[in-house]
Amino acid sequence: MSAVADNETGTTTAGSGGSAAAPRCLYVTGATGFVGSAVARVALARGHRVVAVTRPASRTIAIERAASDRLQPARVDLRSRDGLAESLAGVDAVIHLAAAKAGPFPTQFAGTVVATENLIGAMDEAGVRELIGVSTFSVYDYGNLAPGSVVDEGSPIDREPARRDEYAQTKLIQERLYHDFSGDERRRVIVRPGMIYGAGNLWHDLLGTGLGPAYLRIGSRAVLPMTYVENCAEAIVLAAEHLGRQASPVAGEIINIVDDDLPTQQAYADAVAARTDVPTSVTAPWPLVRAGAGALALANRRLLGGRAKFPGIAVPERLDARFKPLRYTNAKAKRLLGWSPRYGLSEAIERSIAAEAEPVGR
Amino acid sequence: MSESSARPTKPLRAAVVGSGAIAREHLSFLAGTSPIRPSSPVDGRLRLVGVCDLSPVTARYGADEYGADAAYTDLATMLDGAGPDVVHVLTPPATHSPIASACLRAGAHVLCEKPITTTSVELLELLDVAKEAGRHLMESQNYRFNRPVLALVDAIDRGELGTVREVEIRIALPVTDPDGRFADRNLPSPIHEMPAGVIHDVITHMVYLLLLLGRPVSFDRIAAAWSNHGDDPLFRWDDLDAVLIGRTAGGPLHARLRFDAEASPDTFSIRVRGTDGWAETDLFQPYVRVVRPRAGGQQLSPILNHLAGGWRLLQAGTRNVGSKIMQQTPYEGLHRMLDLTYDAIAADRPLPVSTDDMVETSRLIDRLLDEKVRL
Repeated sequence: MSAVADNETGTTTAGSGGSAAAPRCLYVTGATGFVGSAVARVALARGHRVVAVTRPASRTIAIERAASDRLQPARVDLRSRDGLAESLAGVDAVIHLAAAKAGPFPTQFAGTVVATENLIGAMDEAGVRELIGVSTFSVYDYGNLAPGSVVDEGSPIDREPARRDEYAQTKLIQERLYHDFSGDERRRVIVRPGMIYGAGNLWHDLLGTGLGPAYLRIGSRAVLPMTYVENCAEAIVLAAEHLGRQASPVAGEIINIVDDDLPTQQAYADAVAARTDVPTSVTAPWPLVRAGAGALALANRRLLGGRAKFPGIAVPERLDARFKPLRYTNAKAKRLLGWSPRYGLSEAIERSIAAEAEPVGR
Repeated sequence: MSESSARPTKPLRAAVVGSGAIAREHLSFLAGTSPIRPSSPVDGRLRLVGVCDLSPVTARYGADEYGADAAYTDLATMLDGAGPDVVHVLTPPATHSPIASACLRAGAHVLCEKPITTTSVELLELLDVAKEAGRHLMESQNYRFNRPVLALVDAIDRGELGTVREVEIRIALPVTDPDGRFADRNLPSPIHEMPAGVIHDVITHMVYLLLLLGRPVSFDRIAAAWSNHGDDPLFRWDDLDAVLIGRTAGGPLHARLRFDAEASPDTFSIRVRGTDGWAETDLFQPYVRVVRPRAGGQQLSPILNHLAGGWRLLQAGTRNVGSKIMQQTPYEGLHRMLDLTYDAIAADRPLPVSTDDMVETSRLIDRLLDEKVRL
């Protein structure tokens, strides 16, 4: 893997392994989702009880195959307080993954921000004091990070996200709610995963963008801040375990999650393409795309008062957030959580492809 | 319709209740970022003194983003603390009456999103409250003020179409799209509780535009087919086909109101036919086409109409691309309506949407929903 040098932590290890110190009751929002179902599976495997939160009309949750008497579904919609506090009875900690990732701003605001506000209100009502707030790498201020610099938990977050997409805007507001969850014996840790890949999400947005029937890859040399979904899920569950300990060093912390041996765009695309079908694509050099967007933005400011709105591919702030060449570290996650990514890139891709091949409704 | 430039000496104090999707349009006007005409703080006409929502983070976001003096989660506290002259009521329709009443009784004028009330009886009760309080109550009938509609009104007023004989208004929106907000089963939209269900979200627009363009004295015959073609129990109806036949001061008037959840692309088409010509537009892809007698007489008029129509389409296409880039939406009429409304309040002139406009709209919606006219 060519990008090891951009990751402070060296080689892939055998994973965190082991069992939980003490079984806990974990309330997992978004449990039907890509990450949420993996988190629920890991939590069950580590001996915890799981309250799997799904929306009232959601499909049957995928984790039911792992059903045990330690798995309890809770059908509530976080956009409403109805039934929320009741569903939190007996819960030790909340792992909050649910968010709206698509749709217009009001939709994402309701599904991400209002949902988090309601959840925290219900936690207070139910006396639940521990929150593992799952955020995203999207909150960082990529526009002001120098190319090649290291993104870590101390990197600045975007204070003026108006030109970013709705997802970044709403996740930034959500993080403020996480930060406000403090005092009165409340404890929280914020987990910021990089791009999470896995079954159904191998060819992702850090590679490029669809243009009609074609796919435009943007750049090839940037290191991808990725984490395989099962690795990420294990880190999140570890965070919940550590938060429950007395004088936990993770309380109040922000922890970035990326895997070891991060590949470049080209290396990752090649690794995926070697194993499965990928979109037919052309690659545009990053400097060229970025220069074009910069020129357009300058013209917008000078000639149109900055009021014109262009597609994301032509907005410098959005391009920087996805394609700017940077470096990443998972040192803090390893130090505080004792976590190591269980699966390396090749095995993660193999597992993803195997999972994709499984029958629907498995 | 001119865009007035009245300048009050003291800014009107504006507040917003409810921070849903439409609130962004109201707030962008109030924050002075409207492309129609900047308001506060650019010209000192108004000041955004409060944003109120049951959700603290929503209220706070609205206040911060649009420069309001304060955020509130309680209406009474806002009315007492912020002392607004004007309150924009942007909450779900079933809550309009109690919220608007509280605002009026607190001495504020009320601008209320459509549909202002569930029935015309409820509207009359609310108007009584406004009268007792000596305050204005106005429903947002925003599409009346979109440029293409203003152009149609102008063509009618100038007699280009002769006497209006027929109005057809057709809206196509994918309200039953499983990924859309109206099909959300987890937290169903409050609009499903309205008498016309999800179609109540658009029927106000259709009816006030019919009344504006057709100018009927009365409708003697109405037949309305309300259908649920998708057979989705979440939806009361997903389709409307209504025919109305009445009279204007100049003769008979036929009208058709059509709502379709399956046709695409999104459409808001309006066609007006008169004794001399016809005109049409689509508010979602704006253009205006007027076919009328031209200076070339009966022989050349068709050719001249073709050329004029083609030229106008070309202009509209160019303008629409520019509008898309410059983030102008079909809500341009809303901003124009608010602009006129604030000037009217400041100058103590009649508001751009009259009490009669609101009552006639509400009454005709009631008639369309009456079981006696159902097909």
